Amino acid sequence: MNAPQQGFKERADAELKNAVLKIAIDRTTGNAERKRAVAVAAFPEFQAARARGRAIKDHVIAHLDHYLEMFERNATAAGAQVHWAADDAEARAIITRICLEADAKLVTRAKSMLGEEIGLPHALADAGIERVETDLAEHIIQLAGERPSHIVWPAMHRTREQVAILFKEAHHPPPAADDPATMVQSARRELRAKFLGADVGISGANFLVADTGATCTVTNEGNAELTTTPPRIHIVTAGIEKLVPSTAHAFALLRLLVRSATGGEMTQYTTFHCGPKRPGDADGPEEMHIVLVDNGRTRMLADEFRPMLRCIRCGACMNHCVVYRQIGGHAYGGTYPGPMGAVLTPVLDGLAQSRDLPHACTMNGRCAEVCPVEIPLPTLLRAWRTRSWRERLEPRSVRAALGLWAMAARRPWLYRLGSRIGVRALRLFGRRGWIGSLPLAGGWTAYRDLPRPSGRTFMEQYRAGQAGRAGQTGREARK
Amino acid sequence: MSARDRILAAIRAARPAPLPPAEAIAAEAAALLDAPESVRPWPVEAVLAAEFVRKASALGTSFDHLPDRAAIPLAVKRYLDTHGLPPALALQPAPALAALDWTDIDTHDAVAPDQTAALGLALWGIAETGSLVIHSGADAPILLSFLPLHHIVVLEERSLLPHLEDYAAAMQGAAQPRNAILITGPSGTTDIEGSYVRGAHGPGFLHVLMIGG
Ligand code: SF4
Repeated sequence: MNAPQQGFKERADAELKNAVLKIAIDRTTGNAERKRAVAVAAFPEFQAARARGRAIKDHVIAHLDHYLEMFERNATAAGAQVHWAADDAEARAIITRICLEADAKLVTRAKSMLGEEIGLPHALADAGIERVETDLAEHIIQLAGERPSHIVWPAMHRTREQVAILFKEAHHPPPAADDPATMVQSARRELRAKFLGADVGISGANFLVADTGATCTVTNEGNAELTTTPPRIHIVTAGIEKLVPSTAHAFALLRLLVRSATGGEMTQYTTFHCGPKRPGDADGPEEMHIVLVDNGRTRMLADEFRPMLRCIRCGACMNHCVVYRQIGGHAYGGTYPGPMGAVLTPVLDGLAQSRDLPHACTMNGRCAEVCPVEIPLPTLLRAWRTRSWRERLEPRSVRAALGLWAMAARRPWLYRLGSRIGVRALRLFGRRGWIGSLPLAGGWTAYRDLPRPSGRTFMEQYRAGQAGRAGQTGREARK
Repeated sequence: MSARDRILAAIRAARPAPLPPAEAIAAEAAALLDAPESVRPWPVEAVLAAEFVRKASALGTSFDHLPDRAAIPLAVKRYLDTHGLPPALALQPAPALAALDWTDIDTHDAVAPDQTAALGLALWGIAETGSLVIHSGADAPILLSFLPLHHIVVLEERSLLPHLEDYAAAMQGAAQPRNAILITGPSGTTDIEGSYVRGAHGPGFLHVLMIGG
């Protein structure tokens, strides 16, 4: 479903040359990074809360069947219809069937990454149903015909001027100016009629609360409630890992989620949806459907990627990732970008399609440091690299080079000789301490400089240092 | 085999030991909520109402403090006048509000798509986050809190709760409504170049009439 069209390298290359994109990414991720730091500093219990959040997620993952059945029981008792989908195709089929049976012409949708993951936008288009994205950022990328480039700010790659061009074409009347406030007003006006005229509203869920059967959405715009209240049918799509035992557990995770995502303490609207309209209720949908989606999650449960099921989709790992900040979200080619995307995309699309992603990582560990549920992202990326090697997915040049290295590494004299030649040869390419270009490594040096090596290998210097120190100690002893 | 059975079977296959009894799982879940003070922020203000006002104001919520409910219509009129708005109001169809004297304001209980101002009741306020809690019901339409540009909310000072968990505890054993919503400040977005704009889809203004104290 999410298989990238071109290779990661070509996409990343194109994005690296895009100066406008670079400014846009820096603005959003830089802001997010600063605000998160302030929010975490203002909450001294953050590390304890983080350990607790991780424990809550681990507890649910260890008893997932128990909580899924409890949730199903309670949601059904509240009048919701619970559906199960083993993969993206099943999920799409369930949702289009519900829409077609309801004779739906217009569907409003509140942002959900799972909806993107299962390819819902295309499925609705194929079924001939008009889909209106109601989250402002999703509205922008729908008009642009793009996919989200960030899981919290899907349109962060678009500048205000670009948004103005899209809105002027699509909004009636067009916005009078291109400052953000005027354009937000324009979207508010434009989408109001859609909210009230929709036949079906589709939302995601940040949490599924097992003991009440409620689904929880968090938004800042208020579009989720305007999406889920007026239509006759409300459909929720959610991954099976979204469960929490109770409302109080959801709150414990919410404290981590909001601070890590936007640096706020609480989203403007935190809404628990429990079943359809009750007898006598003033408003609300007549039917509520909840589609529980597996799509690779039970596979992760059984292998080394299990900790990834803790992910609460806050986006902090990408905001703090040096690679993401260079190339943006689209280069990753899947639904989920950044470090979490590099772990998840091989699960969803297959490793053969996406083996470049776990390799595009500097292993600096920032992502794991900021992850609010302590997911060891670099370890998981390393696990993909290992698997890629074992499954012989590495290109021939890499395998050959590493094979050569392995042969030399087993013969110390050969290794020493090779590295002595190498380190001296590298000095020929660099002036003033940095190497700006290197034959056969243009891909590396185009956007980075390699420090010019010292002319002697580490082992040579180490030995010289040891000898020097031995001499010194000897001198001291003589005094 | 249905998708449901396949998913549950895959989950069970991934677990080395059998599932512990339900009571043991519940006890483990409850233990994860122990010592809540060690995993949540401490209030700055000693008085609950002061902390609530501090938190909510920081997010752009405005306040008016009233001695009792009878003062509500006048306070609403004052708010509408200050903002240069016509004396018209969508009123939550709750007996407590309908019983007040609305001679100076044109009230109706239907919310228009382009409603300027609406007045509703909050069930609780949560000091930790400055959130107002509303529930859907026969006399509580959800759209009343989302369609208007100005959302005015009545909150009794005695229904303030210190923390998010206290709301969860207050709901323990009670029937979960169709919608339970924590409203924390006016609607906003940072989706265009990260600049903050109020009034994205929901209300751009949130005004609390705090009763008592
Ligand atoms: S992996 Fe961690 S930091 Fe990244 S989105 Fe998931 S929860 Fe957030």
